[in-house]
Amino acid sequence: MSATPSASAALKMDQATTDVGGGAAQTGDRARSGRGAASPGGVPGWLARIDFTPLRSFAILLLVWQGVAVWTASPIQLPTPLRVGAAFLDLAAEGEITEHALVSVTRLVVSLAIAVVLAVPLGFLMGLNRKIDAFVDPLIELLRPISGIAWIPLALFIFGIGDVLPVFIMVYVAFFALLLNTISGVRSVDPKLIAAARTMGVARPMILAKVVAPAALPAIVVGFRLAFAGAWAAIVAAELIGAPNGLGFAIEWYRELLMSPKVFAFILVIAVIGYVCDLGLRALQRRLTPWVDEAGHSS
Amino acid sequence: MTVAAQSFSSRPIAAVARGVALPLVLLLVWQAWASTLPANTRAPSPAQVARAFETLAIGGGLVGATLQSLGRVMLGFLIALVLGVSLGVLMGSSRRVSRNLDPIVEGFRPIAPMAILPIAILWFGAGTPAALSIVAYAAFFPLLLNTIHGVSRVDRKLLQAARTMGLPLHARILRVVLPAALPSIMLGARLAMGVAWTAIIAAELAVGAKSGGGSSGGLGQMMFVFYAYSIDLNNIVVCMIVVGVVALLIDRLFRVAERRLMPWRI
Repeated sequence: MSATPSASAALKMDQATTDVGGGAAQTGDRARSGRGAASPGGVPGWLARIDFTPLRSFAILLLVWQGVAVWTASPIQLPTPLRVGAAFLDLAAEGEITEHALVSVTRLVVSLAIAVVLAVPLGFLMGLNRKIDAFVDPLIELLRPISGIAWIPLALFIFGIGDVLPVFIMVYVAFFALLLNTISGVRSVDPKLIAAARTMGVARPMILAKVVAPAALPAIVVGFRLAFAGAWAAIVAAELIGAPNGLGFAIEWYRELLMSPKVFAFILVIAVIGYVCDLGLRALQRRLTPWVDEAGHSS
Repeated sequence: MTVAAQSFSSRPIAAVARGVALPLVLLLVWQAWASTLPANTRAPSPAQVARAFETLAIGGGLVGATLQSLGRVMLGFLIALVLGVSLGVLMGSSRRVSRNLDPIVEGFRPIAPMAILPIAILWFGAGTPAALSIVAYAAFFPLLLNTIHGVSRVDRKLLQAARTMGLPLHARILRVVLPAALPSIMLGARLAMGVAWTAIIAAELAVGAKSGGGSSGGLGQMMFVFYAYSIDLNNIVVCMIVVGVVALLIDRLFRVAERRLMPWRI
């Protein structure tokens, strides 16, 4: 086996950490080395560099779950992970997962798009113009404490059960996160930059596009991530109560039928989609605004 | 009185007037629109909402329902506080623990509290324990993540100094780690209380909706009953306003507490 320099380094690190074993000492390189990668013998370098800790954690979680489920012996309240896995495969094969997930994700995308169209321009207006801000801000602050969830009964009466209700609730939730972050982003623009652009005779639309918008972008992106998280949490509640399909509807439907493995399988789908979307948004954030950290602060 | 002084004193009044203008105009438009409708309309109007508030507040069960929801929020929040802060201290101070538990925390975090509700109903039925577990679950994550953040940023030198002086572990945690992490924990507590209040309304609404107006009680349940049985939109709007006011009060209370507990941070 021909060990490349990087591979041998990784192996050395692995040996170092296995030497420490279960001891109490913790060093920095331990966090990076693949401690779960086991045998320092004939493992190829790329394999040794993968961090297996998450896999091990989930394996232990599954084992504990299996043990508890067998011990409680109450398959309706706590099905074993094996049965949940089987239900997941069944649902996936029948296309039911794709069907409900598509419905939910479509609603999510539509709502976020509407929220962006409404909140970002209003945020620019309020951030740039103190007079507009003084008029509109009190109304925003009056409405904001009323959570999107609390609109469900009224929205049920107005829109009925269907697509509009979840979209309305999600737009409402996403709107405030986007608006407040856009306003603070626009306000955080260095006034000297605007003054400099103005001195150089740059026209106002150009200043907006080339100075204000890029400077406000990090805050807007952070707002979008918050809007997504809020909307994804709200969609479950909205669909659970007021939609004839979608992931939130599906978990409640199978709960009523006491088909617990399918309930757990759909919860798994919600977790995976939420997790993957968050990863995607983080990647997008790094791509769009590489000069700031995840919280939107320039470093 | 000089002109300058006059304009200075009238400025706050102008600001208030500007702030009140848009909400007031909207209220008037809403009232005007409602008064054009036939008398037996279900559409709410500001005047009707005010009247509904009066009847609900006096002997209408509004106070009791609000207190019931608030009590659940407090209890669920306390559970989350104990679990979240102790696990947060553990994960924030030991890299090994955090490396092993972090994937599981991140795996559960995208699961909305409401997605847990069907399981909670299966486990606990449609009563207070189900609602409590939703609240505790919702409040757990902000508390945990902010405690980890605060604890992992505690000055190492402080900890080493405490250890050199022979402080036992529990004293180091109580006297050094927790006070140093307090700003983060308080922020986590404020966020947690906010999501807990949202979660309890959602849980009570859904339990009310899904157990046939069953036994959950609370403000959310009250709203659902007004929707499903009496179809009284004025009462629903009253409940929504109460939801907003309580959320605002919780937020303000925590901000005041933050200032009181940590006067060195503005």
